Amino acid sequence: MEKVIEVKNLEKSYKKKKTKELVKAVDGVSFDVYRGEILGLLGPNGAGKTTTIKSICGLLKPNGGSVHINGFDSNKQRLKAVNYISAVLEGNRNIYWRLTVRENMEYFAGNRGISKKEIQGKIDELLNFFNLKQKEDELVSSLSRGMQQKLAIAVALLPDTDVVLLDEPTLGLDVETSYEVRSLLKRIVEEHGKTIIVSTHDMPVVQEVCDRTVIINGGKVVADEKVEDLIKLFETRAYCFTIGDELTNQQVTAIENHFPIVEINDKQINVTLEKEDDLYIIMDILKSEQTNIEKIDRTTVDFEQVFMQLVRGGDQHETTVASH
Amino acid sequence: MKQLWHLINANLRKEYIELKRYFPNTITMILQFYFIFLAMLLGIHVIGDPQQVETNVQYVIVNYVIWFFMLTILQSLGFVILFEAQRGTLEQLFMTPLGMWRVLFGRIISNLLIFGILVTVLLVLSMLTAGEWLVFRIDVVLPVFLITTIGVIGVGYMLSGLAIIFKQIQSVLNVLQFILMGLAFVPLSVAPYLVFAPFVKGIDMIRLVMIHSYTWNDFTALDYSALILNSIFYLVFGIFIYLKSERFAMERGLLSQY
Ligand SMILES: Nc1ncnc2c1ncn2[C@@H]1O[C@H](COP(=O)(O)OP(=O)(O)OP(=O)(O)O)[C@@H](O)[C@H]1O
Ligand SMILES: [Mg+2]
Repeated sequence: MEKVIEVKNLEKSYKKKKTKELVKAVDGVSFDVYRGEILGLLGPNGAGKTTTIKSICGLLKPNGGSVHINGFDSNKQRLKAVNYISAVLEGNRNIYWRLTVRENMEYFAGNRGISKKEIQGKIDELLNFFNLKQKEDELVSSLSRGMQQKLAIAVALLPDTDVVLLDEPTLGLDVETSYEVRSLLKRIVEEHGKTIIVSTHDMPVVQEVCDRTVIINGGKVVADEKVEDLIKLFETRAYCFTIGDELTNQQVTAIENHFPIVEINDKQINVTLEKEDDLYIIMDILKSEQTNIEKIDRTTVDFEQVFMQLVRGGDQHETTVASH
Repeated sequence: MKQLWHLINANLRKEYIELKRYFPNTITMILQFYFIFLAMLLGIHVIGDPQQVETNVQYVIVNYVIWFFMLTILQSLGFVILFEAQRGTLEQLFMTPLGMWRVLFGRIISNLLIFGILVTVLLVLSMLTAGEWLVFRIDVVLPVFLITTIGVIGVGYMLSGLAIIFKQIQSVLNVLQFILMGLAFVPLSVAPYLVFAPFVKGIDMIRLVMIHSYTWNDFTALDYSALILNSIFYLVFGIFIYLKSERFAMERGLLSQY
């Protein structure tokens, strides 16, 4: 597979305005993106998603590491690199509310050096694709948020770049519009052969749309996996113990000390194990008080749980997932 | 080159669309400008016309036109950048592979063209209404004016760069009118060192042509070199400051309102 984007040991710190202390927003992030792939960049608030995306766009100069786009350094050869990418960074705030839908598209195409005449066909195609054709002469300020967001994505697709970066494209959308945007994203990859990086908190976006996900937390990559593999991996490690007796306090403490990701209900222990041996450790703890184990089940997990576990589990998981 | 042409075109269109769409604003600006002109021109009538008065009024009109023209262009550049940084469109402009400095070039040129035409038309119109004509050699004024404009482009870049970095630029933009007023109204004969300040040499020469009927031969080679060097210096210096500011903004993450 052809590598389109290569992020290597990316580091970015900001100076806090008041205290002047340095905040490490991105701390040694590395990942690659391949042609035709749709990659989900996932992480909680403040994880460093936006910083990573803006560094790829060359809008931020990294303190360390590098980003290459089709071989061009997005910092040192910014304008060459930018030739291959377009981005929606702040959704509906990325377009001019005082211009109409079509005027926006013509203006942004013009700034990339494309003439008004030349772009008309593409504009019509995109307006139809995004179902905005009837709105083409309306001011953006009069559109719904969903339409504005779709227009912002349409604007990013105008120059027909290899890569499109989307920072939180479903932010602030209702369920229905969010669904529409998700299926449009899938179609963009399928029909237009684009490579897409999408950052999001929105699990369905990753689960339905993305081929692969890079999860970052605290400025570090905690997982870089195919979405289905990640779920499978966690499924094989997730167990549900049904027990006959109540656990003693010592047992509870022992279990919680060993396993950061555990949920203990009355007669059930839902736990994610990190290695094979863990199964024996937990059985030892149960046996120590002659607790009856009635049943051990593999549990199914959805992406949301996987995400929560990775992010909550912090550093321990970095190693286990990476060694998979 | 062709790409740059399309870019300038797009920015001209946007400027024009916005002037048309916000017609009440536009018309207020036009009327205000027209009436101030008219008042000044009529001043010649009212006061009567001993040679001295006429010269003074002409002097004020020429300075006022130039001042108004530069102020409009420079302020709108700065304010638009501030506004776009807050709105979120600034970063989108930075995504063009032609480079933001070219987008700015497109904007400065559009501003110069649109306001240049506007000011010229209004000037002629108010002269028609007042029946009072400023007589000058356009073939001398125009080249001098165009060379002066090159310096304006440079200062436009400078202000754009500062507007990206300093969120407090708003107050600077407000003070700008007084700085420009000083540059536009004070003749070089009074403050010779101002020859190093932007525009001043050009404005001084335009004044001499319009009021004292200077022609090509009345200026020395030194005048012309000072004019050209001043403009080129401020263009290069302005772009330099802009590119430095851009780099600084990317290091600090200042392109969007955080
Ligand atoms: N321009 C800036 N100046 C100072 N600190 C910043 C700036 N931008 C981001 N940060 C800080 O850097 C860290 C990472 O922020 P970033 O915006 O990249 O996170 P994110 O994953 O996009 O979060 P969110 O989900 O909230 O959008 C945060 O702690 C944030 O406070
Ligand atoms: Mg973000």
